[in-house]
Amino acid sequence: MRPVYVLGAGAHPWGKFPNKPQLQLALDALGGALRDAGLAWRDLQGLVAASSRLEGGMGWGLHANEILQAVAENGIPASNVGGGCAAGGIAVQSAYSMIASGQCDIVAAVGAERMPKGFIPRPPGSASDITDNDYLRWVTMGATNPAYWAMETRRRMHEHGTTAETLAQASVLMHRNAMGNPLARYRKACSVADVLASPMVSDPLHLLEICAVSDGAAAIVLGSEAQARQRGGQLMEVAGCAIATGQFGDPSLRIPNVSSAVHTGTPHTSEVVGAVRRAMAMAGVGPQDIDLLEMADNTAWHLLAWPELFGLYEVGQSDWMLAQGELDIDGRCPINPSGGFLSFGEATTAQGVLQVCELVWQLRGQAQGHQVPGARLGMSAVLGLGANGASVILKT
Amino acid sequence: MHTDELLPVAAGLFEGTGSAARLIGTRCTSCGSHYFPKSLSCRNPQCLEKAIQDVRLSREGTLYSYTVQHYQPPALFRMADWAPYAIGSVELPEGLRVMGMLTGCDPTSLQIGMALELTVETLYRDAQGQAVQTYKFQPRVTQEQTA
Repeated sequence: MRPVYVLGAGAHPWGKFPNKPQLQLALDALGGALRDAGLAWRDLQGLVAASSRLEGGMGWGLHANEILQAVAENGIPASNVGGGCAAGGIAVQSAYSMIASGQCDIVAAVGAERMPKGFIPRPPGSASDITDNDYLRWVTMGATNPAYWAMETRRRMHEHGTTAETLAQASVLMHRNAMGNPLARYRKACSVADVLASPMVSDPLHLLEICAVSDGAAAIVLGSEAQARQRGGQLMEVAGCAIATGQFGDPSLRIPNVSSAVHTGTPHTSEVVGAVRRAMAMAGVGPQDIDLLEMADNTAWHLLAWPELFGLYEVGQSDWMLAQGELDIDGRCPINPSGGFLSFGEATTAQGVLQVCELVWQLRGQAQGHQVPGARLGMSAVLGLGANGASVILKT
Repeated sequence: MHTDELLPVAAGLFEGTGSAARLIGTRCTSCGSHYFPKSLSCRNPQCLEKAIQDVRLSREGTLYSYTVQHYQPPALFRMADWAPYAIGSVELPEGLRVMGMLTGCDPTSLQIGMALELTVETLYRDAQGQAVQTYKFQPRVTQEQTA
């Protein structure tokens, strides 16, 4: 294995773009990443796309093929990876592996998504019986995704005394961070009172404590050390890059399951914790070395729970850290300086790539308006359907 | 036309009604793990034999957590006279946490740790007038309360 470096990053702003096909979003993001790397389409030696089941990809998740056929028929390997909402992180890991193994010198990873309005329809061919958990959660009890997150939230309130105001404060922080980020969709400040006055969706979670869905696209270009040196500037190494799946006995309420077989000792959200631990081990760093974390904040609860699960500080300490301003952009442990899912809205398969782009801009000192002072080492963490987790650590 | 026939929301999920209601799960006779609903195999990676059998799960448990859904779920979920309702995660003695609708009490009286028991209730009547039923959990009636 050889070291892998970041050559370029690019993203389309997040929002709703009814007149722009998914493929166009992908081309905009990827074109931007190539320009950022000082490369042309013909320089690409491999392309990995996060497979979406919502739009594009010829209905088979062939999004990388579609991009190449649209803009550069250069015969390079195309790889399309699934992973639900973690597909973007998995795409980055695949691109990483293609370079680390020596197969290619320049590979891009891309995720682009346009989200449907309302509830995501069930995929064609799904079984309508007890073998399909998604079917079961709907017909037996109508458990929406927020219902799962709300039960985790209620449990945290019970175990750690987390208050409604603290949850609201976590959302306020994300909206404040996003004010300085032109890529974010929701860039208006809000107060604890605003959050608590927003409609109750799934008790105790309010509308402003749950991420919306958006359209968006992001791309990253990775390369060998020789390629990175040729581009010039400061080298940025992909120091850790790992994917993982869930572990037996995980106590989390995992969407869309209707039960968990709980075994003591298995970490909560083990797919993401597993990926984070592997990424840290690869990078040879510990939680104390992380200058910023970009994580999947589907709700305000995630912002409190995940940093604890990753060992950034002790379990139950998030509420205090948040109140002290330690999770702020200029705090000791900045979480989602980008504004996170709560300010972007989730463009599912693009999200894991966008996280890595944000790390790139932060470590370069280019995150104008939301720059973490002196950031040298950043980590991402994302979760996807099917118990998929991915985590990337960049360092300069 | 209404008939007296009862229809579960999904076959093979539960059986019986009232105090005879039981969830149908899977027990691994090799390692002792339990699953709900029935599973194709034991999921314990340390378990080598993975010998499984159908099992009726305990009908009593405690409330691990809960929520009240204020928005109507997508159309696959049907419920006559929809109104916000509670969903809970219930800890069973088998080491399983099972999610289900909560019934038989005001959502404001729900408390983590409270004793619950399984029941079966009608969600709606289908086009043929058959009562379509699901499993739910309700506060457990203790012996003192009965006396």
